[in-house]
Amino acid sequence: MKKRLTAAVMAAMLAVTAFTGCGGNSGNVTEDTTAEDSAKSENSAAVAGDVDMNGTEITFWHAMGGVNGEAMEYLVDQFNKENEYGIKVVSEYQGSYDDALNKLKSAQLGNMGADLVQVYDIGTRFMIDSDWIIPIQDFMDKDDYKVNLEENIAAYYTVNNELYSMPFNSSTPILYYNADMFKAAGIDAAPATFNEIEKISDALKTKGGAKEVISLGIYGWFFEQFLCKQGLNYADNGNGRESAATAVEFDSNGGALQILEAWKKLYDEGIAPNVGRGGDAGLADFSSGKAAITLGSTASLKQILEDVNGKFEVGTAYFPATGDDDKGGVSIGGASLWALDNGDDKKAAATWEFIKFLVSAESQAYWNAQTGYFPVTTDAYNEEIFKNNIAEYPQFQTAIDQLHDSAPQYAGALLSVFSEARATVETEIENMLNGKQTPEEAVEKMASSINAAIEDYNLVNEE
Amino acid sequence: MKKKQSFLKKLEPYGFLLPCLAVFAVFLFYPFAKTIYLSLFKTNKMGQAKIFVGAGNYLDLLKSDSFYNSLVVTVIFVIIVVFISMTLGLIGAVLCNRTFPGIRFFSTAYALPMAIASASAAMIFKIMLHPSVGIINKLLGLDINWVSDNRYALICVAVLTGWLNSGINFLYFSAGLSNIDDSIYERASVDGANAVQKFFRLTIPNLEPIIFYTLVVDIIQAFQSFGQVKILTQGGPGESTNLIVYSIYRDAFFNYRFGTAAAESIILFLIIMCLTLIMFKVEGKGKGGN
Repeated sequence: MKKRLTAAVMAAMLAVTAFTGCGGNSGNVTEDTTAEDSAKSENSAAVAGDVDMNGTEITFWHAMGGVNGEAMEYLVDQFNKENEYGIKVVSEYQGSYDDALNKLKSAQLGNMGADLVQVYDIGTRFMIDSDWIIPIQDFMDKDDYKVNLEENIAAYYTVNNELYSMPFNSSTPILYYNADMFKAAGIDAAPATFNEIEKISDALKTKGGAKEVISLGIYGWFFEQFLCKQGLNYADNGNGRESAATAVEFDSNGGALQILEAWKKLYDEGIAPNVGRGGDAGLADFSSGKAAITLGSTASLKQILEDVNGKFEVGTAYFPATGDDDKGGVSIGGASLWALDNGDDKKAAATWEFIKFLVSAESQAYWNAQTGYFPVTTDAYNEEIFKNNIAEYPQFQTAIDQLHDSAPQYAGALLSVFSEARATVETEIENMLNGKQTPEEAVEKMASSINAAIEDYNLVNEE
Repeated sequence: MKKKQSFLKKLEPYGFLLPCLAVFAVFLFYPFAKTIYLSLFKTNKMGQAKIFVGAGNYLDLLKSDSFYNSLVVTVIFVIIVVFISMTLGLIGAVLCNRTFPGIRFFSTAYALPMAIASASAAMIFKIMLHPSVGIINKLLGLDINWVSDNRYALICVAVLTGWLNSGINFLYFSAGLSNIDDSIYERASVDGANAVQKFFRLTIPNLEPIIFYTLVVDIIQAFQSFGQVKILTQGGPGESTNLIVYSIYRDAFFNYRFGTAAAESIILFLIIMCLTLIMFKVEGKGKGGN
C-alpha cells in the first residue's frame, strides 16, 4: 500500500507540475531595484551624434505574422542594407501580441530581452509603469526630430504631454457592408447607428437577400469603441491618462448599459446573432455572402477583399454608434514601438535610428499598402505607393476620413489590466447573449470584476 | 573496517538512485515546492511573490463562483472524454483483433489520433465546426454555431479530446486483446456462447487490468487538456468551457496572478491525487475478491 501511495502521489504531482512549473520559474528572481537603477546610464536616450554605432546589433521583437510579418521582414532587410551607420537589426517574431508581451515580462527579469519591442495598444499603461523603457519623447527632444504624426494616433500614445512609444501599426474599426445587397434592398446610405441597422434589417433580408443582417463578433475592442463613440470614459482618472486608473467608470456613466442594451436588442430580434468571440469572428459570415454587414478593423480590409474575391462589391462606412445622439469618435488600435533601456548608449542610438526609418514616409507608405494599417505619418500621403494603393482600394479612404473626423479627446483609455478587462467584457457579453443575465447584471459583473483586478494590481505593484 | 564496508554497501543503491532523483528534484520537487510557496502570496506584474496572504488565495477561490464553475465543467468534460476515448479505443481494438485484408490500414487509422498534436487537431475542428463555411453544418444541413453556443461548446471540445485520446487507448487495448488466449474462446464456442456473451464474459474480464490502467491515465490526461480549449473556445462562451487547467493558464500567463494560479494548481493536485488513490484502492479490493 505504501508503494501505491507513493506512486499515486508522484503521478498526481507529475500531472500538476507539468504546467505549474513554468509559473514558478518567473517568480524566483528577487528584485534588486537599486542595482538596476544604478546600472542605467544618466543619458539613456543617446542619439547618433553621441556615439559611434558601427557594428552595433540590436534585437527587435515584433508580433506580426503572415502577410504583415513578411512586410515587416522586408522593412528590416531594407534598413540593414541602407543604413549608413553599420547597424544590424535582428528581428524576431514572438507570436501574438499577448505572447510577445508575456515573453518580454519573463525576459526582463533576467535583463536579456530586446532593444526594441512592438507592444499592442492596451499594453501601453503597463509599459509606461514598467521602468524598462526610454520614452520616445527623450529621443525626439535630444535629436530635435520632427515627424508629422497623425494627431489622433499620436494622442493615444501621448501621456502627460509626452510621447512614450512610437506609433507603428495603427488601425480603427469600420463598418463593412455588402453593397450589392444594399443596392438590391434600395438602401442608399450605410447605417450610422444601431437603430438605423434595425430599420433597414427587414429590407436587407427580404429584398437584399441577406441571411443575416449584421455579423457582429463579440470583441472587447468594439465595446471600447462604442464607449468612445459616446464620448464617455472607460475608467477614472481621465480614462487612466492623468494617472493610473483606480476603477472603471463605464458603469456609473451609463455608457456600458447603453451599449449592452442596444446589442441585446439587435440580438433578440435576430438581427445580430452570436457569431463568436474575437476580432475575426464576424468576418467569415460577411465574406461568404451570408451577412450584409460586419464590423472589423481597417487592417482586415485586404483580407476581406481577398476572401470576397469579387463575388460582391464591398462598401465601407464609419463605425456605427449604439445611440442616436452619440457625438464622440473612434480611437485607434494596433501597436507601437517601445525602446527598452538596456543601459547601452550605442544600442539606444541604433534603436532610435531604426525607429526613425520605420516611421519615415517611404516605409509607412509601403507598410500601409502591404497591410492596411494607417500610415502613421501624414507625409506618407504624398508617396506614389500610397496614391496607387488608395486608387486601387478606395474603401480605405473611409478609414482615413474617420480617423481625421475623430478628435484626440476620444483617444481611449489606458489601463494596467486591460487584456484581462477586455476578456471580462467579452465573457459577460457572451453570458448576456446566452440569456444568463440581463444587461444591467452584465454591467455590474464587468465593473466589479475589473475593479477587483485593478485594485489587486495597484496593491501589489505599488512602488 | 567490516562495518564501514557494509555501510558503504548500504549506501550503494542510493548512489544509483541519485541521477534519477536529481532529475525529479529539478523538474518535479522544486517546481512543486515553489508552487506551494507562490500559492501563499499575491504576486506582482512580474510574477514575483510580493504580499504574503497565507490561505487567502485558497479562500478567495473557494468563495469564487467562477472556480466552482471550472470544477463542474472539468468534471463533466472528464466524464465525456473518458467515456468516448475508452469506447472508441475498445471498439476499434475489438474490430481489429482479427485478420482481414486491409487490417493494417484500419489499425493505423484507429491509432492515428495519437500522432496528431492537439493544437493542430483543434485548428482542423475549428474550420470543420465553423457555422457558415464548416463542413459539419453543410453535411448535417444545420445552422448551429457550435463553439459559440454554450449548449454545444463543451461537448465539441470533449468529443475532440475523446477522439484524440482514443488512439493510445486503441493501442493498449489491442495489446491486451492479443494477450488473451484464443483457446478460451474456442472452449466457450463449444459451450454454445454467442459473440455478445463472449465479449462481456471473456474479453472484458481478461482486459480488466488494462482497462483499469487506461482509465487512470485517461482521467489524468483529460484533467490536463489545454490546447483544444485554448484554440477552439478560449474558455468561452461565457465560462462554459473554462476547464481548470485553462483557468490556471489564464490566471498565470494572462492576468499575471501567479498566486491564484498556484493555489488552483494545488487544489487540482489534491483532486487528482485523491482520485488516483481511490482508484488504486478500488482496484486493490477487486483483486482481493478474486
